[in-house]
Amino acid sequence: MEDKRIGVYICWCGTNIALMVDVEKVTREMAKIPDVVISRDYKYMCSDPGQDLIIKDIKENNLTRIVVASCSPRMHELTFRKALKKAGLNPYYFEMANIREQDSWVHTDRHEATKKAEALILAAINRVRYHEALDSRKVEIDPATLIIGGGITGITAALEIAGSGEKVYLIEQSDKLGGLAAGLDLTFPYLYSAVQMLRTLVRKVNTDPDIKIFLNSQVEEIKGYIGNFEAQISSAEGKETKLKFGNIIVATGLKTFDPSGMENYGYGKFPDVITSTEFEKMLQDGLIQKKNGTEPENIAIIHCVGSRNKNYHEYCSRICCSTALKFANQVRSQLPKANIFELYADMRAFGKGCEEFYASTSRKNIKFLMFDQENELPRVMESEKSDRCDMLIELNEKLSGKAVLVPADLIILMVGLEARQDVKHVAHATGLSICGNQFYIEKHPKLDPVATTTYGVFIAGACQAPKDIPESVSQAKAAAARILSTIARGSVEVEATTSCVNEEICCGCQTCIRICPYSAISFLEDKKVSFVNEILCKGCGTCGSGCPTGAIKCKHFTDVQIFSEIEGLLNMSYSMEEIKEA
Amino acid sequence: MKERIDPRFYVGLEEFGIKTAEWNECFHCGNCTAICPLTEKGVLFPRKEIRLMQMGLKKELHACTEPWLCYYCGDCSKTCPRDANPAELMMSLRRYLTSVYDWTGLARKIYTSKIWEYMLIFMLAAIVLVLYLKFTFYPAAEGQWIGADGGVLINKIAPWHRIHIGDWLMAGFLAFLLISNIFNMWYKVILSDKSVKIPFPAYITQFFSLVWNFFTQQKFNKCDDSKIYWYLHLFLMLSYVSLFTIIVFFLKWFQTDIIHPFWHPQRLIGYIATTGLFSGIFYFIFNRFNKSRQNSKYSHITDWTFLVLLFLTTATGISLHIFRISGMPVATYYTYVIHLMCLVPMLTIEVPFSKWSHLAYRPFAVYFANLKKSAIILPKRDS
Repeated sequence: MEDKRIGVYICWCGTNIALMVDVEKVTREMAKIPDVVISRDYKYMCSDPGQDLIIKDIKENNLTRIVVASCSPRMHELTFRKALKKAGLNPYYFEMANIREQDSWVHTDRHEATKKAEALILAAINRVRYHEALDSRKVEIDPATLIIGGGITGITAALEIAGSGEKVYLIEQSDKLGGLAAGLDLTFPYLYSAVQMLRTLVRKVNTDPDIKIFLNSQVEEIKGYIGNFEAQISSAEGKETKLKFGNIIVATGLKTFDPSGMENYGYGKFPDVITSTEFEKMLQDGLIQKKNGTEPENIAIIHCVGSRNKNYHEYCSRICCSTALKFANQVRSQLPKANIFELYADMRAFGKGCEEFYASTSRKNIKFLMFDQENELPRVMESEKSDRCDMLIELNEKLSGKAVLVPADLIILMVGLEARQDVKHVAHATGLSICGNQFYIEKHPKLDPVATTTYGVFIAGACQAPKDIPESVSQAKAAAARILSTIARGSVEVEATTSCVNEEICCGCQTCIRICPYSAISFLEDKKVSFVNEILCKGCGTCGSGCPTGAIKCKHFTDVQIFSEIEGLLNMSYSMEEIKEA
Repeated sequence: MKERIDPRFYVGLEEFGIKTAEWNECFHCGNCTAICPLTEKGVLFPRKEIRLMQMGLKKELHACTEPWLCYYCGDCSKTCPRDANPAELMMSLRRYLTSVYDWTGLARKIYTSKIWEYMLIFMLAAIVLVLYLKFTFYPAAEGQWIGADGGVLINKIAPWHRIHIGDWLMAGFLAFLLISNIFNMWYKVILSDKSVKIPFPAYITQFFSLVWNFFTQQKFNKCDDSKIYWYLHLFLMLSYVSLFTIIVFFLKWFQTDIIHPFWHPQRLIGYIATTGLFSGIFYFIFNRFNKSRQNSKYSHITDWTFLVLLFLTTATGISLHIFRISGMPVATYYTYVIHLMCLVPMLTIEVPFSKWSHLAYRPFAVYFANLKKSAIILPKRDS
C-alpha cells in the first residue's frame, strides 16, 4: 500500500463549534493517530486563508489525504475539493467530518461533544485512507432541444432558446398551439386579454426559422442521455420522424377536472350549471347568458370543485380563486345589477396584485359565502316557482354557522387542475418520476425546481404542479436558460461517483437492471453480464446493495470505505487490511 | 327553516347610520369578538351581526339581542384591522331594530327622515299649546294670577288635577306603544327562533335580571374602563325616572303654590334630579362635540335631537321653578307652557319611537338572552 500522509483540519466555525467542542484538545489528539502528518485548527477553515493553509500544507508536506472537520458536506464539500484540485491533488482524496450540525449544534455537554467530535474525525480519517482517485467525465452536447407541449410554457421556452439561434423541436398533441391559456378570455389580476398575449407569441413561434413545430404529434420513445438523445415522433396521420437533440423540456401542463362525477353540483343535470372553462368560452364569445338565451339575475360561482377534498384531489389548484374573482369582475361589468355570489372554502388570492384584486372585487357588492370543503359541500337543488330563480344552492355557511339558501340562475363551477391521462406515457418516455398527485418530480423542490434527476431533462410549467401564467413563463425561461448554458459550454460534467460492474464476478442475474431507478444498467448479451452507463448513473447505490454476488462496486462508497468509517466511529484502531483481504 | 340570502338587504339602511362601505370590509378575523369585554359563550358579537348584514339574513338579524347587549366601548372598532367599524354598526343596528320592533312604522320615518322627525316634534308642541290654552289656561281669570301675598298661583292657572289627566293619557299612550313594541320584539327574538323552546318557569326565574339591569345597567359597568360614564348615565337615568314618577303619580305634592323651605324633600329631590339630568346632558353633549370617545365620534341627527330636547325640557323646568320661587307669575306661567311643549314631544317621540326606547329594549334584551340561555335546544328541522 502506498504511503498515506494525512492532513487533519479542524474548524472553529467562529464560536459555532468551538463553544461546545474543545477544538484545541481534539487537534492534539488527532495528531497522535498513525499516518496523520499534520493536525491543525483554524477559526474559519472555509475562508480563503483557511483554504490557502491546506493548499500550502499539501505542497510543503506532500500530503496525500485531507480531512476537514467542520460543517455539513452540503455546505462546503465542493469548496474543499476545489482547494485540493488547486493544490494538485485529486479532489476525491478528501473527506469531511460534520462536527457542527451533527455535534456542536445539537449537544449541551462540552465533554461528551468533544469525545463525539473525536469519533467523527477518526471515522473520516479511517475512511479517507481508502479513498481512490476519481475523474469526472465530460459529455458533448447536441445543441438542439426537444420541447414536449405547445402551451404557453412550451412556446415561451421555444422562443427563448430559438432566440439564441439554437434549434428547437416543439411537439404539440392537439391541432393548435396555446394550451389551456388559449381557452381564457381575460387574465387575473390585471384583466389583460389572454388571446391577445398568446396571439403575439404564437405568431413569433410560427415564423421563427429555428423552431420546428409538430402538431397532432406524440413522442413515442426517447433513447440516449444528456447531449445525445434520440426520439421517434409520430403524427396523427401516421407520419414518423426521427429527431436528435441534446436536451428535453417537458411542458405538458395539466387538464381541467371533470365535475360530472360530483352529484351534489348537478353538472349535466341542470343546463345552467357550467364549468369555469365553459364560462371562459362564454366570455370570449362576449355574452353572459343562460342556455335559454336570457340574462341571469343571480350568478353563483362555486370554488374548489375537485380540489382540496380527499374524495377528488387533496391539493390546491391555485389558479381558481383568482379566476373566480376575475369572473365576478367580468360579470359585474357586463351585468351591473346581477346578484353575484362567491361560494368559497378559503380565499387563496396569493401572488403579486392578487390580494389587492380580492379587496377591490369585494367592494363591488359581491357576496362571499364560506363553506366547509372537507365535510359538507354545497348542494344545487331545483327551485319552485315562488323562489323566482332557476336553482337554489343549499349551503352551511361557515362564518355565520347558518344553513342558508342561495338563489341562482347560472352556476359556475371553478374546476381544478389535474394530471393528463398520458402523464405516465410521457414519464416513461423521458425517464421522469411522478408523485402521488401524478405531477412530475423536480430535482429539488426549493433549489432546483426545473431540473429533474435525469440529466438533460427539464420540467416547466403546470406539469410540475398547478401554476398560473407568470409562474409557468418563469419556469419556461429558467429551463431555457439552463439548457442554453450547457449548449454554450458545449459539454457538461457528469457525476464521478457512479457504480461499475466487475464482469468476472457478475452472474448475469439482472437484479440490478430491474432495481435501477435511472435505467442506467443494460445487459450485454454477448458477455452475459450487466453494464452500467456511467452517464445515466447517479451513484445512488441501489444496484450495489442489491447485487447478490458483490459484483457491483459503487465508486467512493466501497465496502472497505464504509466499514472503515464505521470502525473509526466506534473508535477502533486496528488495521482494515484484514477486512479488505477477506 | 333555511333562510334565503338577500344580497340587497342593505339597500336603504344607510339612513340609520349603517355604513355598507365599512362593514363590508370585514373578513372575519374575529378580533372584535376576542377583544369585546362582554362576549361570552353563546353571545358572540359583533362579528355575528356583521356576517348577518353581509349575507342579508333579515330574520336572523331581527332575532338578535346582541346589539342591545353592546354598550359601545368601541374597543372592536379601535382594533379592527380592516376599519370595518363594528361598534358603529352595532349602534346603527340599535336604531334599525327600534324601527323593526315598532309596528306603527313611525320609528323608521323618524330615523330616516329629518322632515318627519321635526314635523312630528312641532306638531306635538302645537297640540300641547292648544290643549293648554283650551283646558287649563284661563285668560279670563287674569285677576287671579297673583296671590293675596303676591305669590305665584300655579294651580290656578294649570291645576295639577287637569295636568294629571294629560299626564296619564300620555303615559298610557307611551306604555301601550312601548309594551306592544316589546311584544313585537319578543315575537321576533323568541317565538320566531324555531331552534329553541323556552320553558315557562324560566320567564319567572329570569325576571329579576330584567329589573336588575333596568336599574343598574350592570352590563354597561362591565364594559367600560371609564367609570365616570357609567356613573353619569346612572345618575341621569335615576333622575329621569324619579321625576317621571313624581310628575305622573305625585303631581299634587310636587306642584304646590306654597313655597317650601330649601331643605324640603320636594325641593331637594327636584334639585338633585336637575343636577343629575344636567350633568349627564352636558357630559354627553361635550363628548359628541369633542369626539374624544369612540362612542361619540359618529352622531346621527336623532342623537342630537334627543340631547337638545332633554336639555330644553330640563332648562325650562328649572327656570319655571326659579321664576316661581322668585315670585314672577307671568314668567312662570309662560315658561310652564314652554316646558310642556318640550317635555311632551320629547317623551312621545323619544320613548317609543327613538333613542329613549333603549330604556326598555336593553333590559328586555338581557332578559330574552337569558331566556334563550336557559332554553331547551330543539333538533334542527329541515323543510
